[in-house]
Amino acid sequence: MSTSIPSRELLEGCSIASPDILIQIAERGSTAADRDAATTTLAASAALRARRAVVTQMVRQNLASLASLLPTSTGERNTVYNVAGGGSWQLPGTLARGQDDPGGTDVGVDQAWQGADTTYRFYSDVLQRDSIDGRGMQLVSSVHYGTAFDNAFWNGTQMVYGDGSGRIFVPGGLTAAIDVIAHELTHGVTQYTAGLAYSKQAGALNESWSDVFGSLVKQYAMSQSVDDADWLIGAGILGTAFTTNKTALRSMKAPGTANDFDRQPSNMSDYLDLPDDDDPRNDHGGVHLNSGIPNRAFYLVATALSGNAWERAGKIWFRALSQGLQSGSDFQAAAEATTAAATELFPDSSEEAGAVQAAWKEVGVL
Amino acid sequence: MKVSVVRGGGVAGLVTVTAVDSAALSPADADTLARMVEEAGVFGGPDVPSAESTPDEFQVSVTIEDGPRRRTVSAAEHNVPSSLRSLVAWVGSAPGRTETVG
Repeated sequence: MSTSIPSRELLEGCSIASPDILIQIAERGSTAADRDAATTTLAASAALRARRAVVTQMVRQNLASLASLLPTSTGERNTVYNVAGGGSWQLPGTLARGQDDPGGTDVGVDQAWQGADTTYRFYSDVLQRDSIDGRGMQLVSSVHYGTAFDNAFWNGTQMVYGDGSGRIFVPGGLTAAIDVIAHELTHGVTQYTAGLAYSKQAGALNESWSDVFGSLVKQYAMSQSVDDADWLIGAGILGTAFTTNKTALRSMKAPGTANDFDRQPSNMSDYLDLPDDDDPRNDHGGVHLNSGIPNRAFYLVATALSGNAWERAGKIWFRALSQGLQSGSDFQAAAEATTAAATELFPDSSEEAGAVQAAWKEVGVL
Repeated sequence: MKVSVVRGGGVAGLVTVTAVDSAALSPADADTLARMVEEAGVFGGPDVPSAESTPDEFQVSVTIEDGPRRRTVSAAEHNVPSSLRSLVAWVGSAPGRTETVG
């Protein structure tokens, strides 16, 4: 089995054993144990500098289970930690709820645990995917990150949730929203499949696929049809900074209408061609803004096909993510990948591929 | 002296600006601000190497203006230099700070 090793640039200065020695052992060590040990050491060092790039690359080279590379592998499926106000260097924190613990002592812990469990079950039951990496990887979440921290994110190996300050998010709001939890977990799935770069159109697709599966997990958990669904991401958790409209973070049905500051476009004619630079205002080229366009495309496909969105539209979108999209895919490539996925999944019917094509035309991509 | 912390991205995809102006602070707080800027070593400090942001992580820019001197340090949230973290935290809870969302 050939093994590709993280690039030397990622490792310099990190470990006592030189990267050269570790690389040689990893590639040509005489026992599997030696090779694995060297590989693990390489990965652990690089993880401090470029966690995500390493993990993605190693998965792509079909290494054995990555569970052993997580900071705290306990052999359980779903674990939640309390980082008690700490920052990134304190992650994951103290184990607060393991797979078989009953919980009941901390609402944020319990919500994060439940949300991860629900998301795991969705991917397993609907898409036959075993966890984020498709190989039963342990789910790790940390709650109470930072102080009054108005954010949740995927850091390359785990989910992290702040408590919210009351300004952007109501306290506790980030773990209360199942779609936010599933959105973050789906960033992990994307990392292990398409690997969409977090920049410009590929980044907007990355964001959109997280919103799509965030919404689908919520709809599945609540047994909602496309007509029952509200197609909102992060509804009911916004804080006092929103004075007039605080409905949700985003609307897939009507991008740009979710809250006072929602500037999402719903069509390519309004695409925001922002640079990917260090300026926070540019958001890596508008990844959270331009995601409105593919979000609306998914909404159109799902409602055209009616019924439960996860049954056809969701499967098409997942196939595109796991088989068609690549790190540099743009919106055009997404239209092609979802059309191909529809044709492959439903070869005896033109309804699905037709709905996909019509949706991308409606949003101005085709 | 003015210090502003701009955050962008995050799961909300919003831009927030938290800023303090020593002219609007109590004399004691203005002194604290000046001391923290000094301790942060911003003027004359090294550039922060770009680190890859992880999905939905904040991107942060800290701008310090002191008379004719002005410096902006930009980093992914997890990569904000430790020398700046105390200053950023202080600005985030300083009485008299302004907070805008957009």
